[in-house]
Amino acid sequence: MSGKKILIIDDDQPLLLGLSARLKANGYGVVSAMDGISAIAVARKEAPDLIILDLGLPAGDGFLVLERMKGLADLGSIPVIVLSARDPAGNEKRVLDAGAVAFFQKPPDNHEFLAAIRQALGETIALSTFLKT
Amino acid sequence: MTSEATGQAEATEHLPTAVPILSPRGSDRLEESDGMELSPKLQADLLNLDAWGEILTTYGRTMGVGVALTDSAGQVLGDCHNAQPVWSLVHDARRDWGGGCPFCITTGPPCTAVADALQTGGSVMVHDQAALTHVAVPLLLGRRPLGAIIAGQVFDRYPEPLLLRRVAREFGVPAQQLWNVARKQHPVSSATLHASGELLCALGHAFLQQRYGAILETKLAETNGRFRLLVDGVTDHALFTMDPSGRVTSWNRGAERLLGYVEAEIIGRNFSCIFTPEEIQDRQPEKQLHKAWQSGRAEDEGWRVTKSQKQFWANVNITALLEGPGPARGFAIIMQDVSERRKIAIVLEAARQDRTRLQENFLSHVSHELRTPLTAIYFFTTNVLDGLLGDLNPEQHEHLTFSLDNVKQLKDMVSDLLDITRVDTHKLVVEPQHASSGKLVAEILSTCRTNAAAKNISLGSDLAPDLPYVWADPARVRQILINLIDNGIKFTPENGTITVTSRLSAEDHGFLCLSVSDTGCGISPENREIIFDRLSQVKSSAEASRSGLGLGLFIAKELVSRHGGRIWVESELGHGSRFSFTLPVFSLAKLCAYVFTAPNLGAGSVTLIAVDVAAVEGAVQADILLEVRRVLERCIHAGQDLLLPSMSDAEPVETFFIVACTDARGSAVIASRIDRALQDFDRASRLKPVISSTTLPVVPGQSREEQIGELTARIEQLVQAHLLGKETLK
Repeated sequence: MSGKKILIIDDDQPLLLGLSARLKANGYGVVSAMDGISAIAVARKEAPDLIILDLGLPAGDGFLVLERMKGLADLGSIPVIVLSARDPAGNEKRVLDAGAVAFFQKPPDNHEFLAAIRQALGETIALSTFLKT
Repeated sequence: MTSEATGQAEATEHLPTAVPILSPRGSDRLEESDGMELSPKLQADLLNLDAWGEILTTYGRTMGVGVALTDSAGQVLGDCHNAQPVWSLVHDARRDWGGGCPFCITTGPPCTAVADALQTGGSVMVHDQAALTHVAVPLLLGRRPLGAIIAGQVFDRYPEPLLLRRVAREFGVPAQQLWNVARKQHPVSSATLHASGELLCALGHAFLQQRYGAILETKLAETNGRFRLLVDGVTDHALFTMDPSGRVTSWNRGAERLLGYVEAEIIGRNFSCIFTPEEIQDRQPEKQLHKAWQSGRAEDEGWRVTKSQKQFWANVNITALLEGPGPARGFAIIMQDVSERRKIAIVLEAARQDRTRLQENFLSHVSHELRTPLTAIYFFTTNVLDGLLGDLNPEQHEHLTFSLDNVKQLKDMVSDLLDITRVDTHKLVVEPQHASSGKLVAEILSTCRTNAAAKNISLGSDLAPDLPYVWADPARVRQILINLIDNGIKFTPENGTITVTSRLSAEDHGFLCLSVSDTGCGISPENREIIFDRLSQVKSSAEASRSGLGLGLFIAKELVSRHGGRIWVESELGHGSRFSFTLPVFSLAKLCAYVFTAPNLGAGSVTLIAVDVAAVEGAVQADILLEVRRVLERCIHAGQDLLLPSMSDAEPVETFFIVACTDARGSAVIASRIDRALQDFDRASRLKPVISSTTLPVVPGQSREEQIGELTARIEQLVQAHLLGKETLK
């Protein structure tokens, strides 16, 4: 149990519930935000160790949220994993360029996804084999 | 009467006998005219009396004989020139003697001299009842009878009073008068008549030939005139001709209307004046003439310019006017303004693209919308299945495993849905590269092993050693293989086996064959036919568990065919199936053949340039290397130089190889261009590029195939040595 805190930014309530359960079972604390505007506020308030970000969000596209966070001194260093239903073609490179550490298309494979989270949190090393290149 | 040749006339006294005195003439212009239609008008033209009159009269007067022109039935056309008095006397007394030769004085069967002459093709000499002699000379156009010339009505010796008396009695002419007339006539010897017949035959033939030529020429002139009228009458097409250098030699009204120049100002000018300045710069006018000269004709669509500098979209046909081998005598151009058609085509294409875009957007939206709920279901199912919410009994576990399987199927279907749109919109892109099939198979097996293990299926591979590299898109090969393996797992019962094999294809030369065999239920023959079709769903009871949109194999087939390979299945119901597909083997020679053209190799040398890209600190990022590749692509001449695909397995690839059809000096120019471009690209100076080169001579006198073979073998060695050398340096 690392006790690290993960912020999930996604507007889909069932997804939040399902993913939270999985993360909690792996020992993480979970907080969530359901739109682009509250995302920044929640991130500021909760100071998470990692952010899981959806791209299609009400009130602020995921890209905007990502770019804004990366531009903020207090949030810029928090690793962001993008989890989106969108096609990796085009989007993957764009989010990585904008500073995200990984891109997963929904639905992700639990093992690969958790491995990426652990790596982003610096909990494991040499897990590059699980990382999508 | 007697026949000159046979002398058998006594028995058949009243039957004029005929013998040919000239053999048919050899082949000449008239012979060649056999194919021409002998129309009544042409026939009449050839036998025009005015034209023949002079020659016949002259002949008759010179020889002292009568002469007449007949048609092919032997009927005299017009008058008899220089008619002889004996014949005139008898003719005037009895105008009713029958058909055949009208020169004959006979009460027996009609003379067949003309028919015989036409039949034999030579002159025929005849003695008639009055012992008058005449010849018939055939006029033949090729082998077709046209008519004849009859000459004669002369005695070949002193007239016989007995015979004359009989003729006088039979024809009702006063005997004394006939005798008086006949006595005044000078006999013409048989030999003279014979020679004269020969002469007449030659004369007639020559004259006919001349007359025929004159008629043909008149006709040709008429046709030309009519053609000219036709060409000028065409106003919606520009029709014009040019000399071999492209100078305009004729210009119709359509050309004037379309291009604005009148005939007087364009004749003699080079037709390049109707091209756009860019195309003149690009030497398009010369190129098009050259192409037309080489292949007989050239077709083009493009912008052309009118005299008032207005541009229009033209459809152009250039035909080379060739006369046997050798340079063209000139060119004929047909040009049409198709600007309207082009506008419509552009609008239609835009509409088609719009529709495709809409369809793609729609499917991409649907796929996106399906993925969100699918993700929630996936999380809930796996959470419960993994015991996050407490233990499950075996039945619950089983049901949820089915549920998870279905989620995965749905996920694949959603992915397929997008791929199928890409097939339709031609966006299913395959980016082939130099790849190792062994490495690919190993990677894929490790990915699929979990799935196979879940059903206790053993998943193995049987790869032939030392397989060559393939020219394929690794991501797409992965997609094809995973699809085939997943299918195998789906249809193979527990404890079965799935084997991936790779070998050189025995049937398809230059291809590698990858197969996935399973020990599953197999596929019936009729289904084997349709299994690769779009939306095929095998519906038999044995295969009822088959699921999915039926798109997987269709997409696999599309992907394989975009690689240039083929895919097929062999199967036995109840014993399993083997899916095989082929991928092209990487061939440096094939790749290089594109730039190793005869002119490029003619330069005499080829240079291999190696660009090693290392980072000042650590390794170079894969995406940076991709950018570097793009920079290098811009530094080379397409069509003359070639940037090779990554040739090493080491990742990231840090050496780029360029095959340049140039010598050491030319490659120095390329190297400095690359150096500058990389400096421009890498302003932060994170990269350390090192450029080296080796120049290879092209052996003259070899065939191009031999040259390519030798060069690519040397390049392959150099590439391997370079990569090895770098390996050792490290």
